[in-house]
This record gives sequence, C-alpha cells and structure tokens, in this order.
Amino acid sequence: MIAFEPKIIAFLCNWCSYECADSVGRAQKEYPSILRIVRVMCSGRIDPQFIIEAFRRGAAGVLILGCHPGDCHYKEGNYQAMKKYTLLREVLSQFGIDKDRFRLDWVSAKETDKFIKIVSEMVEKVRQMGPIIPLYPLFEPLCIPPC
Amino acid sequence: MKHKEIRIGVYICECGPNIKEAIDIEEVVKFAQGLENVVLTKSFNLLCSEEGKKLIEDDIKQHNLTNVVLATCSPKEHEITFRKVLSNAGLNPFLSQIANIREQCAWVIKDNASATQKAKAMIAAAVKRVAFHEPLEIKEIQYQSDVLVVGAGVAGISAALTLAQKNRKVYLVEKLPCIGGKVARYEKIFPSLECASCVLDPILDEVLHNEHIELLTLSEVVEVLGFYGNFIVKVKKKARFVDNKTCIGCGACFEVCPVKVKNEYNEGLDDRKAIYIPYAGALPNVAVIDRKNCLQFHGEKCSACQNACPFRSIRYEEDQIQELNVGAIILATGFDVFDPKKVSQYGHSENKNVFTSLEFERLLSSTGPTGGKILLKSGQPPKKIALIHCVGSRTKKYNEYCSGVCCMYSLKFAHMIKEQLPDILITEFHSDLCLPGRTPQSFFNTLSDKKEVDFVQVKSIDSVDLTQKENKILVKYEDSSGRIKNFTFDLVVLSVALEATRDAQEVAKIFGISQDKDGFFLEEHTSISPVSTSIGGIFIAGCAHGPKDIQSAVAEGQAAAGKILSKLIPGEKFLLEPITVEVDETLCSGCKTCISLCPYKAITYDQEKKVVSVNEILCRGCGICVAVCPSATIKARNFTDKQIVAELIGLLEV
Amino acid sequence: MIKPKIALYWCSSCGGCEESVIDLAEDVLDIAEAVDVVFWPVAMDFKYEDIEMIPDGDITATLINGAIRMDNQEHMAKILRKKSELIIAHGSCAHLGGVIGLANFYEGRDILDRAYKEVPTVENPQGILPMAETKESDRELGLPNFHNTVKALDQVIEVDYYIPGCPPTPELIKNALKAILQGELPPKGSVLAEKKALCYTCSRSDSKPDKVRINRFKRPYEMEWDSKRCFLEQGLICLGPATRGGCGERCIKANMPCRGCFGPTDNVIDQGAKFLSAIASLIDSRDEEELNKISDSIPDPAGLFYRYSLASSILKGKTQNKT
Repeated sequence: MIAFEPKIIAFLCNWCSYECADSVGRAQKEYPSILRIVRVMCSGRIDPQFIIEAFRRGAAGVLILGCHPGDCHYKEGNYQAMKKYTLLREVLSQFGIDKDRFRLDWVSAKETDKFIKIVSEMVEKVRQMGPIIPLYPLFEPLCIPPC
Repeated sequence: MKHKEIRIGVYICECGPNIKEAIDIEEVVKFAQGLENVVLTKSFNLLCSEEGKKLIEDDIKQHNLTNVVLATCSPKEHEITFRKVLSNAGLNPFLSQIANIREQCAWVIKDNASATQKAKAMIAAAVKRVAFHEPLEIKEIQYQSDVLVVGAGVAGISAALTLAQKNRKVYLVEKLPCIGGKVARYEKIFPSLECASCVLDPILDEVLHNEHIELLTLSEVVEVLGFYGNFIVKVKKKARFVDNKTCIGCGACFEVCPVKVKNEYNEGLDDRKAIYIPYAGALPNVAVIDRKNCLQFHGEKCSACQNACPFRSIRYEEDQIQELNVGAIILATGFDVFDPKKVSQYGHSENKNVFTSLEFERLLSSTGPTGGKILLKSGQPPKKIALIHCVGSRTKKYNEYCSGVCCMYSLKFAHMIKEQLPDILITEFHSDLCLPGRTPQSFFNTLSDKKEVDFVQVKSIDSVDLTQKENKILVKYEDSSGRIKNFTFDLVVLSVALEATRDAQEVAKIFGISQDKDGFFLEEHTSISPVSTSIGGIFIAGCAHGPKDIQSAVAEGQAAAGKILSKLIPGEKFLLEPITVEVDETLCSGCKTCISLCPYKAITYDQEKKVVSVNEILCRGCGICVAVCPSATIKARNFTDKQIVAELIGLLEV
Repeated sequence: MIKPKIALYWCSSCGGCEESVIDLAEDVLDIAEAVDVVFWPVAMDFKYEDIEMIPDGDITATLINGAIRMDNQEHMAKILRKKSELIIAHGSCAHLGGVIGLANFYEGRDILDRAYKEVPTVENPQGILPMAETKESDRELGLPNFHNTVKALDQVIEVDYYIPGCPPTPELIKNALKAILQGELPPKGSVLAEKKALCYTCSRSDSKPDKVRINRFKRPYEMEWDSKRCFLEQGLICLGPATRGGCGERCIKANMPCRGCFGPTDNVIDQGAKFLSAIASLIDSRDEEELNKISDSIPDPAGLFYRYSLASSILKGKTQNKT
C-alpha cells in the first residue's frame, strides 16, 4: 500500500514568506518535498476561489503565509487575508473539509525555523487525515477562470 | 480568446553543481519537452552568464518563441536579468516565468527523486502559467523635483537650505506661527555655550529670504496621496489674521488687546495677549491672532487691535487648503518633553519653584518672562538649586530610553547659573552620566574639577521624590549605598525626557509611516538607512526620529536632503510599476467594495458612469481589490486569476 | 407558414418557472400565436412517445427548468437535446442547480433515510426505501434512480443559453423567446440577462457610501429596514454585489436583501467564494477572536452564499475524507 503523500499548496507573499522560503533555501535546510509554492505579491491578493480550486484539484491541505500584522509591505493586505480566512474556514468545514487542512500563519523573511516548523506540522497532520474525495471525479472537465 | 500560436522555450539551469547534482536534469528536460505548447527545452550550465543569456536571446529570435520559462534560482535573484534578455530579443519582458528550482527545490530536498519530482511540478506550473501571460507596458512618468519639509526647527531648516537650489522649490510647512523650533527659545547651546540666537538667527533669516523656499507658517499637512516622485499633499493653512506683507511687528496691537492668556511659548510662566508675537525676536516678525481667545471669534465685537494698527494689517480671513505637488517629503516635526505634572513624584504641579528644563530655558532666555534672570516665583533669586537628571528617562515607569542630551543641558544650566549667580549652591542628582563623544567629558570636568557643582549619585532616579516644605522644596532620594537622604532647595530643575510629539500618531497616520514603541518615527533600517522610512520618498530627520542633540539633528536634515538631491534630478523620469491593476468598465457594477480597501487610495468612484477607476500612478499592485471584487472585473496584471489557477493546476497535476 | 416549434420541460423543479411563463399574462397569447408548443407536460397533455416521434433538431428551442437528480430527468434532457436546435436552461435550478443543489451537502443515501425513515411524521416501521426495481408477484415495478448528486443542466447536456432567476421574470422569458424567434441571439453560452451585477441598477447604490464596514451581521427579522439605504450599510447581508442583474430588483423593492438567484457574473466561476471574499473584507475588525465571533454570527454561511449556485460551484458539494 503506497503511503499517502499529501500535496500541500502554500500561497506565499513576495515580501515576507516567499523571501523566507528563499532564506530556508540559502541556509540549505530541509523541509517536506511535497510542499508546492505559489507566489503572490500580497497575501491580500489571495482569492477564496484559489483555495477552493486547490482542494478541487487534489491538494490535501492549503497554507497561506503572510507578513506579521503591522508589517505588510502594502500596509493591510494581511488583515484582508485574515478576514477571508476566518470566514472561508467555516464554509470549507461545511463542505466537509476539515479546518485543520487550511491554515493561515505569519512569518517574516528571516524566520526560517518557523517556516520549516509550520510546513512540517501541516504535512504531518494532513497525512494523518488522508486525501479529500471531491464530489465529482477529477477527470470531469474543469475550467480555468475566464480572466 | 487568443488564437495566436503559443511557442514556449524552457531553459533549465544547472547552476554549476547546485541544481545539476540535486535533480535528474535529463529526466526533467524530457518531461518539459512533452508539455503542451513547449517547442524547445534546453539545459545549460549557467543561464545568468553572458553565454547563457545569449543562448536564450538567439533561440527566441531563431525559433520564434512567444514565451520563455526559466527553471533557475529565485526570481528575486534574476527576474530582472532574464526580463532584459527578452527585451533584447524583441519580446515583451513579461512573457517569461521563473520556476524557482534552486532555493525552493534543489537546496531544500536531499533525495534526488523527490527533488526531480518537485522540479517537474514547478516547471509544469510555470509552463501552464506563462501561456496566459500578456505583454505589459512600462510607462514613464515625469516626476516632481520640488520637496516638502514639515517642521521648521533646526533639522527642517538645515534640510530646506541644503535643498533650496535652482529648479528645486522647497515648501517649508510649520505648525507654529514662528520658525526655529525649540532651539530658538534657548539662550545658549552646549558645549560651546554660544548664544543660540547668534547661531540660529542668520540661518532663519536665510530661510525667510531664500527665493526657493516657500514658508507656510500656521500650517499642517492634512492629506498625503501618491508616491516617490509624485506626492499630492493637502496643506491646511490656518489664518493668521494679520497681513504678513504689511505688519512690521511694532506691537501696537497687543498693547491694546483686552484679552490676557497664558503664554505657551514661555511654557505658561507669563501671559500674552490674544493678538501676539510669541517672543521678542520671533521670526517672522509678524503678529498672529489666537482665535480661541480673541473676543471677535466669540461673538463679541472688539476691534481694538484693528483700530490701533498703523498699517491696517489686521484682516479677518478664512483658513485655506493648498494642494502641493512634490517629489519627496522630509518629516522634521521635533519633540515634546515629558510632562511631570502627571506624576506626583516630582511635585511639579504643587510646587511653584519646580521647573522643567524647557521652562528653565525660558527663565534663562533674554526673551523670556524674566528677561533672563533666574528668579523664584516670589521674585527673589534662589540660593540653592537642584537639577534632577533622567526625569522620565531610563525608567520602566515612563520611558526606557536615555534621551541623550539631558546630562549635557543640565551641565549647561549649571554653567549658566553659576555665571549669573556666582554664590549659588548647585546640586546635580544623577544615577549615571551620559557623556559620549568629543567634548562632553571635558564639559563635565570643568564643572566637577572646580567643585562648582555638587554631583550626587542616586541609587535610581525612581527613588527621587519632591515635596513642598514650607516655601522650600524637599528632595528625598536613595543614595548609592541605599540610605534615604533629603535636602531642601529653593528651586529645582527637572531634566525631562525628550518624547515623541503628542500628535505623532496622527502625523504618522497621515504620512503612512510607522512608529517605534515610544512613538518616534521609524527609520527604514537602523544602521544603513537611518533617515529613510519604509515609505519611499518620505524621510525623517531630527528629534522626530528620536532624541538627539542639535549637531545630529542638523546632520540628519542635511542627510535626508542629500538623499533626495541624488535621486530626484529635474528633467529625469521615473518608470511606473507595470504590475498594477486594470478595471473592466463594461463589467464593473459600481458596488464600491474595492474603494475603501485600497491602502494607497488609488481607486475612485465615477458618479456619472457608476463604475470605479484606478489611478495607475498610485496603484502598487497589491491585488487586494482584485481578490474582493465580487464580479471579478478588476484584473491584476501578471497575477491574474487565470495565471494563478493555471499555475495551481500545473503544480497539482504532476 | 410553419410555426417554429417550442418545448418546455421540467426536471427537479417546484413549478415556479412554469408559473412565470403563465405570468406573461396577455403576452402568452402572442407567444401562442407565434409558436407551436409540441411538448409541455405541466400544461398540456403530451406523452413521452410524442417526443420520440419528432425528427432530430426539429424543435427550434426547448426550455428546460429544474435540476437533474433522477434517471428519467437525465434521459429526457438527453432526448430533448437531440430533438432541439437550441436548449435553454430555464431558471436557477437548470442554470446553476438552484436551491435544490443544496442537497449536495448531504449523501443521497442520507437524504432518503431522512425523508422516508427519520422525519417524525412518517410511519414506515419496515424502513422501506424507494428502489429502482421491485418485483411484486409477477409484476416488475420501476422507479427512476435517485442520483447521489444534484446536477445543473449543463453538466449532463450541452446548453445553448441560460435564463437565470428563481424564477426568471416574465420579461426575461418574453425577451428570450422574442430573441429566439427573431434570430437575434448573443454568442452561444450567454446568460440572457444583464452583464453587470445588481448594484449597477439598484436604486440604493447612489446613497451607498464608499466605505462600508460591518461589525455585526444582522438577521432579516431583527428590525424594520430602511428602504432607501443599502442593506450592507445597515449590516444585513445582501448578495447584490455578487449577483447578475436583470431581475428589476424585485426583492430589494420589497425591502428584502438579494439572495443571489441570478447567479454570478461572467468572470466568476464560484459565486459563493467571491461573495465571501467581498463580505469578509467589509468586516470591521482585525482581531482574531473578534473575527471568529463575527463569523459565527452567520448561522449557515455556505448555505447562504451558495443558496442557488452550489451544484455549479467549484466543489459542487460536500467532499469526503478517506482515512
């Protein structure tokens, strides 16, 4: 039986968390290889449609890492991310997606250990929860947003 | 719908051994070549080298590539490098995408198979994404080389004079009716003990007469929009009610004014009239009406000053809003002192002869309430004076930091007191002495060697307590060995901490800059960027940035000016950020959700068309508006929904 | 002159869409003059065999309302697709799955158990559930299969146009039929209503402030709502910003907030998610605990945001975890 490797999508903001992931790289520290990173300019850019799409396409967990409150490069993008996250988490649980599969946290560009800790924790937790079976099989024709 | 054929070239960098030894390059090349729209896949030793860049450029031309994917180090390293390669090849630079297979793959995964798998996923994602990239235009914009300096104290004035040159106008905005800040109210400055006005007045005069400096007194900035090179600033100019072109400061008006109020420029130690000049010699030498106390503004008809003025300078006018278009801003808004009235420990409110250092400066000043004579409230000169250091500084109770200048000014006071009252007994209570740099130690030594001042070390400043004892002041303290002692004095001077101004929070909000935990404006980087803030184009100088002496304040003002002079060169252009957002007016419903969320106020509502529009100069491309738009009508250039979802699909399909 | 043939059919539906056709009032007579209705089970006595006899592609347009939940509905949809030039998804359920789509939050098996066994007023001591086939003595009885999920019409057949709404307004239906008969139709796949969201035509948007902030979500029963001000400004959730316009704001004019029945605008795939994004941004708090509390004040966020569009959202319904 093949062990379940949970695909985790991480949305990282250009200024803090993406830079942090790069810092981890420069320090050549390891973290679970199954993490897949999507770069956005600001955590406030993250549309709930992306999160839902990620789960639909096979992600077993989604992570958003933004700048610490008060440190957002664009002043308040991370607060917007926080608001959407709170509401989306509730809605996702109504869709049968456990709240622990969706996590929002804050890292600064230098917090490499925190980054590794969060990613490792998430991978472990989601591995134990198993994969998500969407209502419609994955081979159903899926569409890309029109714009 | 694009019907243009998409021809993607994928380039995988070996990065020496860094990527080559971490993943199976051959497997990845084969994989990439099999992806949809990919016409060409190559690996190369070092893509950022001249040969590497040439290879890509040649391929683009030869093979008519429409998009390029680079599987290399982080985009933070070479995004710009590779975009230039595309430009050189005649392709729009934004038709490229980088897959970060070094920092986020090769360097963090030890197992070759897993790293190869991740690299494949990242490349698949980049290939899918780049197919939806659109060419972006980089627009140029002329920027403003004029500068706004807020605060006409020594820091602001030094900055203004350094900046004022041909082709560069300086707007100097000052809240008070006069310029010179705190230093204009001192009698002497340390360590030279020179007369402050002798040093300052020529500089203030230069400011008033410099044709490149427009001085706006009684003015405050109320709104700042825009960014480095193009700030749109609204300044509220409060009415002075006196024509500054005709008033010569003769004083006829204040002689006849019936209203007397406490003079805040003398720290409340004496009175002034409702029409006044703050202190003798204040510049500009023009009277001002205090509308809070003037009878005319309280419904009573009083035209005493108007009648007395020989030049008909008094006129009742409105406040005005002036809009300025500047390229950079320097904030030099100064400091306020710690208010000992709020703590009973220093007995400031109950004792008539306990003075803060600022109050004492006014006592010493020839333009002050006593004409420079040190007198008790009774009118007699004191015989015993105590100076208490670190009032409000270096204590967890109020401010943890050291204000840096109080020891020096306390020593200055001691010099000046001794000069005026040679037989007086002076005691300075301190816990430590702050004497860094070239001159302070010797400044201290002259006093301590001559035994002119009694220096008493206390265990901690928190232990000092002042109470009224008959008409004297009892100073109780714990000495360095822990014993409680007390002495009486006629007059006590509290060397109070320099704090952030009371309105620092509002000012920070208007300019969008951060404050440290004590309220001072925060620099961009403590060591290497001390006069910049995290907002490009806004600089800080002087005590607004933290307590400091005059020399440092002047240095910061000149430094900020220097930074601006080197960047804002008249005639040159700025390149606008191309990664901004775009509204589709045919779909916008005018629901207004996005407007108030823009941190840069770049979105406005068009009442007629009932849609929103985005100011591309102000937009920074954060994408907050894009995420919340319920109709998905705002598009984030280079980070569109389509592109991001395509990337997601690529990452999850492999 | 041969009149163009029109058919109307209903799947999992409440009948409201048909009612809306009747609501055309006198205009129905004009329609009846201009077309030949060859199939309309709810209003006229047609049989299944009648449809089978029609040559393929002979029906100019068929309006199908209701979602697809049962075998027979899927079967009819496919046959009508063969027989029709144009298939119009008529009403929310056909367009998006509609309110019926909310059943996708439950397993098909659980729904049957609930309806036939657990409801307090049902007497079913033997726990009999409807089945596709049963034998009784020597007769075989059949019932259409009950699918595990609700589907919108375009998830089973190709749909040419959509008339949105729960139900669509008579004007929309009339305009759609007119456009079909005159051959003046927009590109295939279009939704035959407004392009922009409701706020564009809503009378309350002029007075809506640029900055709306909500610190508590209110429920409709709580107070008498100001009939001139935007509902969102008053703290009541209104899906107007995320909903296509064209309904004439009937609900708003009745002083009730929009519930999103016209579905999302063209660029949006998932109406619930986009509305969530917008409404979250209006919350007036930055404190985690407070945000949780405010979020808890919406009793059923998924049901509210996806009321009509669940079956055609990205996830389409409840997912399962496999451990």
